Amino acid sequence: MNHNRKPGLARLWVLAALLALVAAACGGDEAEEPATTAAPGTTQATADAEEEPASPEEPMEPLRIAVVAPSASNDLAFTQSIVDAVNVIAAENPGTEVAITDGTFIVEDAAAAIRGYADEGYDLVLAHGSQYGGSLEEIAGDFPDTAFAWGTSTDTLGQPNVSAYNAASEQGGYVMGRMAAVLSDSKVIGVVGPIEVGDAKLFVDGFANGAMEQDGVTVNINYIGSFSDVALASEAAQAHIASGADVLTGSAQMVVGAVGVAQANDVLWFGTQANQTSLAPDLVVASQVYKWEIVLRDIIADISAGSLGGKAYEIDLANGGLAIEYNDGYPLPAEARTIADAAIAGIIDGSIHPLEQMFVEEPEPMEPLRIAIVAPSASNDLAFTQSIVDAVNVIAAENPGTEVAITDGTFIVEDAAAAIRGYADEGYDLVLAHGSQYGGSLEEIAGDFPDTAFAWGTSADTLGQPNVSAYNAASDQGGYVMGVVAAELTQSGVIGVVGPIEVGDAKLFVDGFASGARNQGDVTVNINYIGSFSDVALASEAAQAHIASGADVLTGSAQMVVGAVGVAQANDVLWFGTQANQTSLAPDLVVGSQVYKWEVVLRDIIADISAGSLGGKAYEIDLANGGLVIEPNDGYPLPADVIALAAATINGIIDGSINTGAN
Amino acid sequence: MADIFTSAVIVATLSSGIRLAVPLLLASVGEAFGQRSGVLNLGVDGIMLLGAFGGYYTTLKTQSPWMGLAAGLAIGMALGLLSSVISVSLLAEQGISGIGVYLFGLGMSDLLFQRLVGTPLPVKSFPKVPIPGLSEIPVLGDLFFNHSLPIYLAFLAVPVSTLIINRTRFGMNIRAVGENPEAADSQGVSVVKVRYAAVTIGGLMAGAAGAVLAVGLGIFQQNLTNAQGFIAIALVYFGAWRPLGVMAGALVYGMVSAVVLLLKTRGIIPLGASDLAAMIPAIITVLALVFAARRFRAPTALTKPFMRGG
Repeated sequence: MNHNRKPGLARLWVLAALLALVAAACGGDEAEEPATTAAPGTTQATADAEEEPASPEEPMEPLRIAVVAPSASNDLAFTQSIVDAVNVIAAENPGTEVAITDGTFIVEDAAAAIRGYADEGYDLVLAHGSQYGGSLEEIAGDFPDTAFAWGTSTDTLGQPNVSAYNAASEQGGYVMGRMAAVLSDSKVIGVVGPIEVGDAKLFVDGFANGAMEQDGVTVNINYIGSFSDVALASEAAQAHIASGADVLTGSAQMVVGAVGVAQANDVLWFGTQANQTSLAPDLVVASQVYKWEIVLRDIIADISAGSLGGKAYEIDLANGGLAIEYNDGYPLPAEARTIADAAIAGIIDGSIHPLEQMFVEEPEPMEPLRIAIVAPSASNDLAFTQSIVDAVNVIAAENPGTEVAITDGTFIVEDAAAAIRGYADEGYDLVLAHGSQYGGSLEEIAGDFPDTAFAWGTSADTLGQPNVSAYNAASDQGGYVMGVVAAELTQSGVIGVVGPIEVGDAKLFVDGFASGARNQGDVTVNINYIGSFSDVALASEAAQAHIASGADVLTGSAQMVVGAVGVAQANDVLWFGTQANQTSLAPDLVVGSQVYKWEVVLRDIIADISAGSLGGKAYEIDLANGGLVIEPNDGYPLPADVIALAAATINGIIDGSINTGAN
Repeated sequence: MADIFTSAVIVATLSSGIRLAVPLLLASVGEAFGQRSGVLNLGVDGIMLLGAFGGYYTTLKTQSPWMGLAAGLAIGMALGLLSSVISVSLLAEQGISGIGVYLFGLGMSDLLFQRLVGTPLPVKSFPKVPIPGLSEIPVLGDLFFNHSLPIYLAFLAVPVSTLIINRTRFGMNIRAVGENPEAADSQGVSVVKVRYAAVTIGGLMAGAAGAVLAVGLGIFQQNLTNAQGFIAIALVYFGAWRPLGVMAGALVYGMVSAVVLLLKTRGIIPLGASDLAAMIPAIITVLALVFAARRFRAPTALTKPFMRGG
């Protein structure tokens, strides 16, 4: 979904290439070994011994198969399922050569690998990730003699050499849902989902339907918004257990954390995509296992017969591509097994339709777009840049086919300007200039590309351009709420704030926070703008200065505060986060974080673009529209009266009875 | 206003100044070795960044800040060697090649961080080592004798470096090849070897500076050094290529930064002047050292590649 381009990195690669040239030149005569092409992520290639005798039962033509997949080959989930399947095919067909590039969560890396394999003459290239569709569509056209397969998807991209493969994962989900309902004593079942798309959504819907066939069962579903956030998935599992769940399930590679939570709390787990028994040998009841080899055999047979694609394949319970694998270490009651067997039989003979009582509305997908982000710090800075990257990923997940490009780390404005212009030039539909410092550059560039939509944040100013939207965060609102809470929690009556430069949403946050705290009574709020968005060492010393001045509660805004949170942790001082959830930096001392959900305004901006309006409007996220969310840290025991006060403050801001005092 | 003069606040502020000074001190003392031998290494910041990432990542994996420091030293030494190859053997234009090393460190440290760690995770920092007896002296004990080991070592590096440069044969050779490499060469001193050694020491100390910074903070982030490597190079000039002068510069810079932070924290510098105040450390350090260092001149052969007979 993402591709990263950094100006620094570009130079780095030039340097690396030069070094490689030098190394090659120095290698001289000995450099006779074939060059190894390093594809992004981990690349491994295995080739069976050529002299292997042919297998007795009509072996298929030996093939060269390449897999490109987003997570690790041993993720016990999505990527492992295809790797296992290809290995089965290779074992059945001696001589088959298999190459794997895994870990390509960055779509551009995946695209490079897919193209590389096609170029190297692989017979079948598997693009295993719904996010790879856009890239594959381009590449497949360039290699009409190579067979590609794309999953999970039902769309062959209109290409005669692309097959699509999908999993009817709702079927196994339904079967396991039926079992879960029988096994649950509390009759509360928790589901940890990634993003509501693809086979994960099918699984969750099927599971919930199966469980709710039994009266009195409650199924709580939590889509955490990420395929990879293991910590968040574990927290979601914790939340389910706290809500009374005694059976859990979940889909996608981030559930490993949730299975650990199930194990720690003696709660049952149902797996999907791969057999997850090894993660909790006593508590995994069963796993729905994907056997992609079923469709791979068909795809390969079709290739041998001369048809390179254009067909969609599906694994399901009937064709054996989905299998329910029980954990022998778990004593499954006979009753549950009988129900499961009956459900499987019913699905296969067509008498049961796992998605029949769909209770989750299918959201109307938006037109697929190409979105580019240019932002000043790292994509995972736990602050400003991460907030927009997360939001665009949510949009991309909601709208399969959306192509996302990211240039992060452009703290030098000229670099950002070059990237913004580059994306506009490449025809991106929406270019997000995510940094108040980019306004001057954007004003010039936007005029040169009147047909491209730009959005600039954080700002309330559309630069007088009809194709520029502005987006802003009313961060004073969350700041005010947290200021009120901070004033309740401080013992010393002194609160410290570490700010970057007195502008934009950082200033709003600081103003709101100070006003909230001061309105609670006799509290001193010391504010220190360090004069930099990136100086981690200075931010941490500013936090030290606050503590030396008696502060026992701290907060701060922008990406350099990671150092200050460390100081809070070392000195046992409370911390309030903003922009992104900062709990992971100091799990015992972060009280809560104001999280930006830019997807709320991005949806509006994109809807307006689809309706033909490229800009000229200013958007804002706030507590009322759900674009700002206060996420408390479950690991910090906030007193009940303070929680009530925070809730009342949030309501007061939403209904207008409280003014944050920021301007 | 009066309560900023309590001993607790003064100690906290001065300690803060010392912590801010230490990475600069390590990097600039190391750079002074290279410059005294005639080699300007503008890649200090890149080496610091890779040392910082190496130190952080090793600490994350081994749970030992000391292993982290060792990793920083090793990475610094390797990059110091690489810089020597580029500047001394390949006779590259020193300004440009140093920028190359800087960009390599900036990009590579971020790439490795993104690939190997991703979301920042805190790591264990160096423990404080109070010096028995001395650390109990009121005010001064806390200020000077209650720090982590790398901070003591950084300050110990100043007299040791002064001794090496001024009182040993190796130091004399460094000075000789920095002033007149042809003359040193004619006396049988290997200019190449001496410059390799001096630049590698510089790399080693830059790597240490990065590791001390990252592990001291307990966190890593893209461009963590925030150009401290360049400030360190400036401090070498303003500190007149002498470890003591360099230390004075680093301390002035650190102390002024800490005092400005305190004044902002207490609202004595008004919010509106915050951004302006952020420039004060650089301005005061430059002014102080310009006046102090006027009578010294740069090593004559600084930035000039040496080629026998050339």
